[in-house]
Amino acid sequence: MVFKSMWTAWTVKHKPRTLAGVIGNKEAIQKLVEWVKSWDKGIPKKRAAFLYGPPGIGKTVTVEALANDLKMELVEKNASDYRTEKAIQRFAGLASQYGTLFGRKRLILLDELDGITGREDAGGLKAIMNIVKTAKCPIILIANDPYDPRFTALRQLCLMIEFKKPRVREVQRLLQRICMLEGINAEEAALRFIAQRSQGDVRSAINDLQALAQGKKRLTFDDVSWLAYRDRKEKIFEVLRLIFYSRTCDGAKRAVAMADVDLDMLFEWVYENLPYHIRDPQDLAEAMESLAKADLYRGRIRLTQDWKLQSYVIDFMTAGVAMARKRTKPAGWVPLRFPERIKWLSKTKAERELRAAIAKKIKRKCHISATRAIKEYIPYLRIIFENNSEMANKIAEWLDLNEHMKAYLSGKN
Amino acid sequence: MSFEMWTEKYRPKSLDEMVNQSHIVQRLKSFVEAKNIPHCIFAGPPGTGKTTAALCLAHDLYGEVYREYLMELNASDERGINVIRETVKTFARARSMGEIPFKILILDEADNMTADAQQALRRTMERYTETCRFILIANYSGRIIEPIQSRCAPFRFTYLPREEHDKYLMYIAENEKVELLKDGLDAIYEVCGGDLRKAINTLQAAASLGKPVNAEVVYSVVGHANPVDVREMIKLAMKGDFIKARDKLREMIFRYGVAASDIVRQIHTEIFRLDVPEAWKIKLADIVGEIDFRITQGADEEVQLSALLAQLVEAGYQIGKET
Repeated sequence: MVFKSMWTAWTVKHKPRTLAGVIGNKEAIQKLVEWVKSWDKGIPKKRAAFLYGPPGIGKTVTVEALANDLKMELVEKNASDYRTEKAIQRFAGLASQYGTLFGRKRLILLDELDGITGREDAGGLKAIMNIVKTAKCPIILIANDPYDPRFTALRQLCLMIEFKKPRVREVQRLLQRICMLEGINAEEAALRFIAQRSQGDVRSAINDLQALAQGKKRLTFDDVSWLAYRDRKEKIFEVLRLIFYSRTCDGAKRAVAMADVDLDMLFEWVYENLPYHIRDPQDLAEAMESLAKADLYRGRIRLTQDWKLQSYVIDFMTAGVAMARKRTKPAGWVPLRFPERIKWLSKTKAERELRAAIAKKIKRKCHISATRAIKEYIPYLRIIFENNSEMANKIAEWLDLNEHMKAYLSGKN
Repeated sequence: MSFEMWTEKYRPKSLDEMVNQSHIVQRLKSFVEAKNIPHCIFAGPPGTGKTTAALCLAHDLYGEVYREYLMELNASDERGINVIRETVKTFARARSMGEIPFKILILDEADNMTADAQQALRRTMERYTETCRFILIANYSGRIIEPIQSRCAPFRFTYLPREEHDKYLMYIAENEKVELLKDGLDAIYEVCGGDLRKAINTLQAAASLGKPVNAEVVYSVVGHANPVDVREMIKLAMKGDFIKARDKLREMIFRYGVAASDIVRQIHTEIFRLDVPEAWKIKLADIVGEIDFRITQGADEEVQLSALLAQLVEAGYQIGKET
């Protein structure tokens, strides 16, 4: 980072200094604290605690806050420090004492255990186990996946403590607190959106918040809704909300980048759900017209193969729809509807195939295209087949129709 | 085996049997006498005898074995450029063995060909004139590119006059021992407007009910043949229920395979029957026209028709405010 002095990561700046500031995982923290305190009464059965859980939920932060609260000396090693057996033995000595020269108690943290690689850190895990077996001070291990087979033996020696994702509300409250400290007036919906998106990864939520809000006085839903689409795929629901409720063109257009479906499929989703969200007659007409325009551009692309035109498709199917919303009041919660027409297409597939096959038979005999036979013969044949089996049988024989086709025409399928 | 669909059973076999379009038949007969025909365009509305005339011409030219000298292609079904390049070319360049040195290729619904395919066709027509003559059949000759039009003798077919229409249907009814009543005949003409294929199919379907064919029978047949009510769909939209109207639309398109162009045409007709202020009718027609154009240009049928329905929703709302 070039401007490091000016730019501090909020994850660092707003890191909790005490356990009280850590969100979620109350039980896990309690268990950990009790275990550490038990060292005062002598070496417990398990000399190491193994904290595990998904990234970004506060495992490391908890240990740091704990050391601070209990006024312990924290010796921290992480993946960049592990190398070989030798490298680990080098700090083995540290673990041989509980009290330090300056009267503080020592706590050893071995973070990012997942980062130990098989070959390069050869013997590293073995060395760690040796330290754990003989430690005279509490050792805390951290990894995302404790069930990695490499940790099997290690697990037996450790007190296993699971850390879980905090709830969305908890993350949202944390973001709110940070905004307050940073002097930002944030819309609740904006923070909820960030919190939901993070799926419990508090670190990424704070990073997102910083990326979007730093230097601003106000943070609105529109500001965040397009949010840095990391590798997490957006749910179509949120994408559609953007299109139906954005107040700016840019806001609506960002939906396309967030969607994890292709443009044609997104179009189907918009087309299906639009009338449930944009209900005022004038708004509806304008929004549907905008969608129809997007479709016109799709047609032009098909015709000319000029993919530059795609940006207009996007304009009309997102921004055009969003801007059409002038009078419609926000609907309450509206369920997401899967594009009916895709359902129809698969539901009626057999029927359509049968109809097409009949049309081909007619074409052979009646000098008419199959396309037009569907309209100019099949409806009349249906009447005949439903009402006059004698005439129907003769026609069926003449046209060489099979039983399925006959059943279709007589409405018995 | 005899023909079981009356449209085929009563299709004239030779030009002599063709009672209508007499000025056209005259010219075609002169081609037969000369044993030579130019490339032709037969243009005109459906059910007026274009395909029949082409088949009769071939029959009279080659005799009973005319099928061996004839190829029928349908541009609606195979309108890609590849059909022109391959099928048409292969047929066109093979020399004919008979007395007449050329064969006939009937290209039906030629106005549905893509512009590219038409360009390809143009060269094929020039190159193989010696061995093959083309009869292009179209509803609208205007949709056929100028260079092709200029190479063809144009024939314009028109709807059958009322007397011809009546004569023909009464002949069929008599032959099939169907009691066709005067008001039934009137109803058929009213509904089919001189489209003889539609008229004959309506008559046959009506006859299948086994009752004397009167107006009531005809209208019920027509009602059944158009199972989903366009009027009902329009009413739903004008009342403001877009979602139900769209469901109806989907039923037509998916369940009954109704072509979008037909739905548009019916909407257009219905609009002038709506109970709305006169000035609105023409406004609505304008909207329908625009959507019709877009669909012709290859836009997505359902999406465009939905946009039309949404406009009707708005129109219904505005009309409600005015009155």
